[in-house]
Amino acid sequence: MAEPSTAALRSFDEEALPHLDTLYRVALRLTADPTLAEDLVQDTMLKAYRSWRQYRPGTNARGWLLTILRNTFINDFRRRKHEPVAMDLEAVEPHAIYRSVQDTDPEGTFFSQIVDAKVVEAIDALPADFREVLALSDIEGMSYGEIAETLKIPVGTVKSRLFRARRQLQARLYAHAVEMGYIKPREAPR
Amino acid sequence: MSRLDCEEAVAHLYDYLKLELTPELVEEVRTHLDRCCDCAGHARFEQQFLQMLEARVSKETCPNEVRARIVAALRAAARGS
Repeated sequence: MAEPSTAALRSFDEEALPHLDTLYRVALRLTADPTLAEDLVQDTMLKAYRSWRQYRPGTNARGWLLTILRNTFINDFRRRKHEPVAMDLEAVEPHAIYRSVQDTDPEGTFFSQIVDAKVVEAIDALPADFREVLALSDIEGMSYGEIAETLKIPVGTVKSRLFRARRQLQARLYAHAVEMGYIKPREAPR
Repeated sequence: MSRLDCEEAVAHLYDYLKLELTPELVEEVRTHLDRCCDCAGHARFEQQFLQMLEARVSKETCPNEVRARIVAALRAAARGS
């Protein structure tokens, strides 16, 4: 296959390169490893460039690039990364942390005491399918519909994964805040 | 119009805050939150959480040396090398 022309490179620069930060952040969450994330973004950009003629100008470049990123991750990277044994995602139903803090810290000010690195660490400790939807929705601000299209899963699945991902993340952040003494532990009322 | 109970309202909170509900459900959740202090407090808490997440993590950017490496790789690909 012939490489794209200089004009193609220019349109790639204009439409694809602005999404580099998004690709990098999502790659970080998928791999939970900065070195792998760099390789994943580079491979993604090269693949995207080589198939740039398949992209329809003016459509959703971010979603198009993220689909390539995801396929590259699944095909070439997932086995390189040590992923914890897949857990039954449907079985996880943590309670709302709000119940534990509503009397002591209803505004959730303890969140602001947790350092950025710990927030990132807690996200990266989530199961891969959860990290992915959380990154796309709550960090990149994509709509549920856009995420469903990018990941080729139903909107209902996006919703339920997000719900569990957010609850699990809260539980981890709360446990950390208790451990650090930012907040006093309290049993959730029955 | 059906009335949501607390459990149902809480189940919809994230989607409500993310503006992902149908107009009918938005109205039902809003009506519930107007009448229920407990769930309204819960909604504020979840909003804080979502805002915190976005503010903390979305400022990570692709490091300059990585960006430069990727742009160089793209230029090399364009030259067909």
